[in-house]
Amino acid sequence: MRRAAESVATSERPELDSTPASTAGAERPSRRSFFFFGALAAASIMPRRARAQARAQARTARRKPRPDDAGAPAGASVPRGENVAPFAEWDQASANRLVRRVTMGITRSETTRAAQLGWQGYLTYQLNHTRINDDAAEAFVATKWPLMSQTSDVLFSADSGQVRSQLQESSIYRSAYSQRQLYQRMVEFWSDHFNQDIDKVGYLLVADQRDVIRAHALGKFPDLLKASAHSASMMAYLDQNTSRNKAPNQNYAREIMELHTLGVDGGYTQDDVAELSRVLTGWTITGRGQFTFNPAIHDTGTKTVLGVTIQGITGPDGIKEGEQVLDMLVKHPSTARFIATKMLRWLLDPNPSETQIATVASAYKATGGDIKAMIRVILNDSWLPAAPMKFKRPYHFVVSSLRSTNPATVAALSGMNSQLAVLGHQNFTWDTPDGFPDKIEYWSGNIVPRWNFGNVMAAQNSATSLVVDTTPYRAGSTAAAIDLIDQSFFGGEMPAVTRTSLVAYAGTATLTDAKARELLALAMSANAFQWY
Amino acid sequence: MDYDHDADCGCQEYNELSRRQFLGTAAGLSAAAFFPDWLPKIVLAKNFASNRDIIVSVFMRGGADGLSLVAPFADANYYASRSTIAIPRPDSTSANKGINLDDFFMFPQAMAGLVPAYQATDLLVVHASGQLNVSRSHFDAQRYMEVGKPVDPSLVSGWLGRHLASIPPLKPSAPIRALGVANGLQKTLVPPTITTDLYDTKTLPIPNPASYSIGGAASSQAARMNFLKTDYATADEPVRSAALDATNTVDLLKAVNFTGYAPANNAAYPTSSFGRALRSVAVLIKADVGIEAAQVDIGGWDTHSAQDPLGGSMFRTMQDFSTALGAFYADVIAMGYNVTVVAFSEFGRNVRENGSAGTDHGRASALFAMGKGIAGGRVLTKNWPGLARENLEAGQDLKVTVDYRDVLSEIVQNRLGNPNLAFVFPTWTPTMLGVTR
Repeated sequence: MRRAAESVATSERPELDSTPASTAGAERPSRRSFFFFGALAAASIMPRRARAQARAQARTARRKPRPDDAGAPAGASVPRGENVAPFAEWDQASANRLVRRVTMGITRSETTRAAQLGWQGYLTYQLNHTRINDDAAEAFVATKWPLMSQTSDVLFSADSGQVRSQLQESSIYRSAYSQRQLYQRMVEFWSDHFNQDIDKVGYLLVADQRDVIRAHALGKFPDLLKASAHSASMMAYLDQNTSRNKAPNQNYAREIMELHTLGVDGGYTQDDVAELSRVLTGWTITGRGQFTFNPAIHDTGTKTVLGVTIQGITGPDGIKEGEQVLDMLVKHPSTARFIATKMLRWLLDPNPSETQIATVASAYKATGGDIKAMIRVILNDSWLPAAPMKFKRPYHFVVSSLRSTNPATVAALSGMNSQLAVLGHQNFTWDTPDGFPDKIEYWSGNIVPRWNFGNVMAAQNSATSLVVDTTPYRAGSTAAAIDLIDQSFFGGEMPAVTRTSLVAYAGTATLTDAKARELLALAMSANAFQWY
Repeated sequence: MDYDHDADCGCQEYNELSRRQFLGTAAGLSAAAFFPDWLPKIVLAKNFASNRDIIVSVFMRGGADGLSLVAPFADANYYASRSTIAIPRPDSTSANKGINLDDFFMFPQAMAGLVPAYQATDLLVVHASGQLNVSRSHFDAQRYMEVGKPVDPSLVSGWLGRHLASIPPLKPSAPIRALGVANGLQKTLVPPTITTDLYDTKTLPIPNPASYSIGGAASSQAARMNFLKTDYATADEPVRSAALDATNTVDLLKAVNFTGYAPANNAAYPTSSFGRALRSVAVLIKADVGIEAAQVDIGGWDTHSAQDPLGGSMFRTMQDFSTALGAFYADVIAMGYNVTVVAFSEFGRNVRENGSAGTDHGRASALFAMGKGIAGGRVLTKNWPGLARENLEAGQDLKVTVDYRDVLSEIVQNRLGNPNLAFVFPTWTPTMLGVTR
């Protein structure tokens, strides 16, 4: 619990970000990370092949034991693909492992930065996201997708197709080009946690993404939940805006407990759903998309939620009944456990151990739901090196392709947005409130569209959309081109099976532009590029 | 698992092929299947004599209101509970009046597309059905139904996945046995861990079978495919099998003419995603490529507000549902193909409408089964509990009187020829209701 205790101390400050700039990313290395530096230095003088062999020998089985199997729930079976040991070529202890988990995809600059900072330094760098200068990405978004900074009053009159495409495309751009990569990963996570379908809520989602998800993605969970509960978009999505005292609508009351806080087994009953729906009557929308509380449709009777009596309040203070329940929900032990489990699944392992869940839930309780403090506990340098690989969802796959190919020109992302629709993972189009699944069983069968996307991405060569420039790959020998692909797409850890095939495919003749593009397409289509 | 594949299943077509012979064939196939020289001859099947049906399973996601789909107009409490969203009686003068089914239940006009199948006694409605386990969570209720066993976190495979794993392929050479018409594999189709006792389920999610192909320059296509086959040969499951099945299926579907397909009986599929999905399934069935199961989803049933089954949101969803299934009936089932369709939802909705002219999550709904082997033309109920308040579950919902696994068990056994019910629906002892002929 030493880490959690550290996090408590840190989080007593208003923000982790208030750490003086001079120390950000330059913490005194711990004994463990110092050891890693030594190991890295030693490894760097070994030939690549020898290193891969050494790691392959160290890896005894594809399905390896967990750090604390004893804590796993008895009888729970792990679905296929959810306990796959990383490739032999991956150095588990290297910062590359962390880069794969906290970014939307490997880039040469990011692996270089992580190697310089070391595990703790790089994690701290990514966690202190507001200290990372992101002006370039934000300036591009502001120019290219101006509707994103508008209020709902303005967006009400905007073309709905424009609003939709600007929201989707700017999200892709930020995921790929923001320097705040861990923050972007958490924006994606919370967007699914508080999922809304743009076909139902329309322009209202712009403010939800900006003022709820992006404002609190690395903040405190209670603030995030409360912001969501005061979001016009969420009110519209879960029909809260149609609920009234005479006949309350249970949709939001149910999902805020089932999906947002307690979890389905979190200890609430159907009676609690019905009673909370009464508490929340009056939480609705006014004007062109402002949240409001309307006392005229609020049920002022006495209610009982989760065993607590909620006294009815008349007039504008009736909203305090709901605020009281929100406070109960964020402080509930089931919420700590539910959020801890879900964050562990996202960042570490689809089947976290009981010990891991309990440890992260403790961090939630100790820090009042500080998301950064929980991430610090989750991404420690003993859990992650022992964790299985995860299978990229299509969005992650597309964005990581964009990052690794690093197009020389980015003028439009409408093509990428269409490709995401083909892959079944276009942002904000999952219609039910559980969000896009993060299950390999769900996504792994739809592999042909991924291969086709590799072709589409590698072929980009239009100044009005994307230009993938093959010149760097054709500047030297074919071997140099393969090495550059390895560095750009695989962090220098391309599996031998892929390298051998790629070398054979490349042949010995000087690479043409077309052949270079084929190599890039195959790199993106390769099995190793589907995992992180 | 305590079941026996070698037990006599009573099915002629694969009694001829002993278990040992089958394994020999399959082992030989999988070694060769990496670069298959097998290419199907696409012939429209005219042989309707097989006694084992193909199954098309439809999940109506969102909690479909069974009391609008098949409304009990003769139950006075129906009208008392639904002041704005009730379907007018068939004997009324309303332009929106229902279609009488059996003097107690009616279809709304949005369901007219299914009247021919009902009249031909090939469509069965099982009302006040659902799952006995109480869950009003969409996601839990869907999961339990798809898995086929409630509240068991250790079971991750789906009932249809286990069916396929416990019966030899209809066509041993088929590269794909089942598809989910979706971007991701539905839980219904997730296979169990395949041991030597089980059969490979060869199941893929294919959102649009008509465009399932490898892009890029034609000149490099073969070389790129070879790269992928080698690269994915060492991948971990389930990715390795998915890639293998996908490459073989790409080859297979190249030979199937989707765009030029002319449905029989002038059947007109709607252009909705549900209509297109059923059309693609019909093409695959007629192409006789060895597909034996398809999972198709239709959403839009979560009618918390402005439900409007007479002209609004639920009207459109029901119309899409009934028109597409009606077209499939005319195109495939009426033509004599051995196909059984089932369609059901995770739960129904409250008997009383809410303040938003919608309905919240309830319990029982209506289940549909369609096929020449289904004893249809009727609304099957088992002690119809009625809508009187004292008879409602928790004072608000139509009680579940038939567990959906009773209906599916009978279909799995009698129409799909699979005797392994204890494997398909673990711990469930079915009561046969006579849903099959």
